[in-house]
Amino acid sequence: MAKQKDIKTTPYEPFARAAARIVRVRTHELFAHAEGVLDTEDIERVHDMRVASRRLRAVLEIFSVCFPKAEYKSVLRDVKRLADALGERRDPDVHIAAMEDFAAQQTATNRPGIEALAADLRERQGRGNELLAAELERVAERDLHGRLLALSDAAEAATEGEEAAAVALAEAETEGAAAGPDAAHDGAPPADLVAAAQPDREDGA
Amino acid sequence: MKARPVKGLDPAGPLADDAERIVLVRLDELCSFMPRAADPEEVVALHDMRIAAKRLRYVLEVTGNLFGPYAVTAGKRTKELQDVLGEIHDCDVLVPRVEAVLDGLREEDVGAVAAGAQEPPHAEEYRGLEVLIVKTRARRKQLYARFLELWTELEREGFRARLEYAIAERPAVAA
Repeated sequence: MAKQKDIKTTPYEPFARAAARIVRVRTHELFAHAEGVLDTEDIERVHDMRVASRRLRAVLEIFSVCFPKAEYKSVLRDVKRLADALGERRDPDVHIAAMEDFAAQQTATNRPGIEALAADLRERQGRGNELLAAELERVAERDLHGRLLALSDAAEAATEGEEAAAVALAEAETEGAAAGPDAAHDGAPPADLVAAAQPDREDGA
Repeated sequence: MKARPVKGLDPAGPLADDAERIVLVRLDELCSFMPRAADPEEVVALHDMRIAAKRLRYVLEVTGNLFGPYAVTAGKRTKELQDVLGEIHDCDVLVPRVEAVLDGLREEDVGAVAAGAQEPPHAEEYRGLEVLIVKTRARRKQLYARFLELWTELEREGFRARLEYAIAERPAVAA
């Protein structure tokens, strides 16, 4: 099974910045496994891509609050569709392998029934492969890869916006303190900095 | 099974604090399936518990290094639980599938015998499929016993309390 890449994180980095980085890595892993995935002679490729799709979906859900809502829902829906198609293709592979092992341990009397089941599974495997092929085309048409990277960029940009606003606020307060206690100051930061500090995001809480 | 929403997440807040909130909710979700899943007939509860274990495992895989050392161990133990529940689920999916194939063969045979066949054409295939069902159910019993054993181990080792403690820790960050 393909091992996931370890991603370095620190406890105090902003949640959204970690989200951006982790989603980018998991996106790259998913699409790196796409090559040759329709080859029914090599069933491990489908397995690896399926595992990658699960990991990607998991991190999208963990960090959902960091992404623009509408784009996130649309991307998540497409990742789920792809994961389902990978499952439809993968499950018969697993069952066929199990049936072949099982049949090998059976007496000749028991084998005809298992072969009937294996034939049914092979048909499902073929249908699963067609479904997966159609879904991979759809993924390319809808630029799922690009949209996933755009989600990461949006999460990162929101963090940078917050940091810039926080820096600006801190500078304004420092300037206010340097101007002295007689400066006209009601304790509130300037309105334009308040506006800059309001990120354009939906709270997942 | 829809995941419970996690309140109070702040995209600008520290990663470990938000991750702690998520782990607490996912851990509670997982534990909420007992004692219902202690009944082997509770197929849906066992399936949902597997999904809950998967969610907890994935969040610990990504964030376990942010917390005290037991968090990484808890991720591995959760994976063990997920794996055994996954194998139980595979049995629960396979048996109805085999029964459906058997039903299909029987229906064909009813038609064939009604049309004049002396013997059901698929008679030789029934036995292998029945043996498969018996063996799958037997395996499911063994797996279920393993699941209960594993859950008891987790309770004895204080899995929940230790993980709750670990996620409140913040190891020193290397310079």
